[in-house]
Amino acid sequence: MIALLENYWLYFLVGQFPGGPLGGLALTILLGGGALLLALPLGVLLGLGRVSVSRWLRWPVTTFVYVVRGTPLLMVVFWAYFFLPSLTGQKTGQFTTMLAALVFFNGAYLAEIVRAGIQGVPRGQLEAAQSLGLGYAETMRRVILPQALRNMLPSLVNQFVATLKETSLGYIIGLSELSFIASQINIQVLTQPLAVYGIAALTYFLLCFGLSRLSYRLEARLARSGPEALPA
Amino acid sequence: MAQLDFSAVFSGEFRDWLISGFLLSLRLMVMTLALALPLGAAIALCRLSSVAALRWFGAASVEGIRNIPLLMHLLFWYFAMPELLPAAARDWLNTHGAETICAVIALTLYTSSYIAEDVRSGIRAVPATQLEAARALGFGYLVSMRRIVLPQAVRITIPPLISQTLSLWKNTSIATVIGTAELMYQAQRVETASFRGVETFVLVTVAYLGVSLIITGAASWFQHRFPVRAS
Amino acid sequence: MTRKERFGLFASFLVAALSTAAVRADQVADIRKNGELVCGVLGTDEPESFVDPKTRKIIGYDVDLCGAIARRLGVLPQIKQVSVAARIPELLQGRVDVLAASLTHNKEREAVIAFSVSTFVTGQRVMVRRDSGIARIAQLAGKKVVTVKGGTQEPNVRKAVPGVDVVTFETSPQAFVALQQRKAVGFVNDEVSLLDAYGKLGAAQKEYVVLPENISTEVLAIGLRKNETALKTIVDDTLRALEKSGEAEKLFLKWFGPGTRLNFKERNFKLETDRIAE
Repeated sequence: MIALLENYWLYFLVGQFPGGPLGGLALTILLGGGALLLALPLGVLLGLGRVSVSRWLRWPVTTFVYVVRGTPLLMVVFWAYFFLPSLTGQKTGQFTTMLAALVFFNGAYLAEIVRAGIQGVPRGQLEAAQSLGLGYAETMRRVILPQALRNMLPSLVNQFVATLKETSLGYIIGLSELSFIASQINIQVLTQPLAVYGIAALTYFLLCFGLSRLSYRLEARLARSGPEALPA
Repeated sequence: MAQLDFSAVFSGEFRDWLISGFLLSLRLMVMTLALALPLGAAIALCRLSSVAALRWFGAASVEGIRNIPLLMHLLFWYFAMPELLPAAARDWLNTHGAETICAVIALTLYTSSYIAEDVRSGIRAVPATQLEAARALGFGYLVSMRRIVLPQAVRITIPPLISQTLSLWKNTSIATVIGTAELMYQAQRVETASFRGVETFVLVTVAYLGVSLIITGAASWFQHRFPVRAS
Repeated sequence: MTRKERFGLFASFLVAALSTAAVRADQVADIRKNGELVCGVLGTDEPESFVDPKTRKIIGYDVDLCGAIARRLGVLPQIKQVSVAARIPELLQGRVDVLAASLTHNKEREAVIAFSVSTFVTGQRVMVRRDSGIARIAQLAGKKVVTVKGGTQEPNVRKAVPGVDVVTFETSPQAFVALQQRKAVGFVNDEVSLLDAYGKLGAAQKEYVVLPENISTEVLAIGLRKNETALKTIVDDTLRALEKSGEAEKLFLKWFGPGTRLNFKERNFKLETDRIAE
């Protein structure tokens, strides 16, 4: 197993970089983080749509969210893979495809988290803002959303963990993320599948478990000290 | 681009492939649920037990399984685990549908860890006084659980469990990487043979959505028919 | 029609409409403008295209051919890894300019893409474990074989052996692992790839045998989008020039000749025609 680690640690961590595109653990983290960051504005927009008073906004957004949540992520990945270039007119690689699919998919899930976060802000806040003369958009932007986002932090970290696991589906479209690289190493070495897949599984575990511990601590801090716990 | 032609994709052997894939996906879901529900309940009880070793085991199982992607579980159970088996067991596995068996094992373990957490939350939502009263009346721990606490927990737990079923239904699509011939696998096969990606993927998306909507509908019906009573 | 079906139909019409809008006028001009030729290669099929473990770059016969075409166009080659199942869609979607991806030239594919002068001729064969006792292809009926998703291997073996059970994986090497783990009795692939995999087995070679019958003849060529006549002319001219100068034979011997794992003594084809047998 030591020889295994010695020979392949660089390939495992960064793929072919710099002699080729970035891969391995570095790619997984970059893809997961990038996808969640980009999905957040989409999630906020969709979440606002879900709580909107206007039926014309609420129904299409709700349908969209239900459709995306009822479809396997792998299906969304294939749609993006086969048809994204037609839509954008650009040559898109596996990374862009996976990123687009993850942003799209997680946007719909974040919509629900945002909706719960917004509805968790005490109603008094909304009433106070409106009685001070702030319009809907300003109320949202300056009063409700900042508080909602703070409450949502543990859920957001959980969603980040889920997104990191979802990057493994890049394997199927040949993206050189962690699972694909692990399989490539197994194919080369062949006699140690347990060690190879075991190390890959352990890596995911350390990454995801570490992050979910963070979310747990955030949740505990928020519960202990109320909404003023985290710095504004 | 050529005209869309759904009949080209949904006729003859393509249709047979897609239908057999759909049926296998359903079978995977049902088999996994049948195994994961009891396993998840057992893990949940471990986590709530007074024996520290059991509590640790339950927590370690849940965290260990949940923090590893399902794809990795599938690859592990299909490509790594069988190498540990004695040759006779391995050969039996390979001649009796290793792809399906390993997919069910991976899906069961993965789903059971999520079910365990939902069951645990459900049990904890039942007021502690119920268990105390049962013990005071002389019932043993397991009997109290079985007759008093779990029946009350079930009503609370059903909606999250239905949500897990929805996730499970979607997760069956990942089994394609270990050669399990379920719906996604057949979709890839039909797409290659027919050169008609749009039609194939539209049909398969509709199939997944259809079952998803039935499952979500079941959840809404349940919450409507059996609302959670305030304590 | 249910709401879901209507939605799906609308989405696909939208995609179809937008796809027709993305048609390129002249690919050669675009390639020269971008300064690079994007070549789709497998990267998992030694020695046509594979990752060199020392440099972690993709090298191989297909890669060298791509380099020659790029040089003729006066641009740099950009090697892009594609999977077997998605290589043709990648070409059609414009993600790559040409496909040098162990691509078989056959009649079904001619309906969707164009092919260059043939670059390789090989057969598809089956590798089995010696202890399975299988000596002829016909004995595979009722047994399980493995191969890669999305290539010509699955349809060819099903045609050659009615009643065979086929399980496919995302890459050929992954399928080969399945054979080595006894998940199936046979592994189907192009003869060249099989011999290469066989060579890599080392001491384990005595456990396997490549059955001598070809289940099909595979003529490999570079894939191009249809109606790109200017690019096809340049690609064909490059290949014919390589043949005439003797470079083509040298490339063959470099990757497949004596001293390599395949150890072919000579080449049994020439880079001269883009026609295939009926």
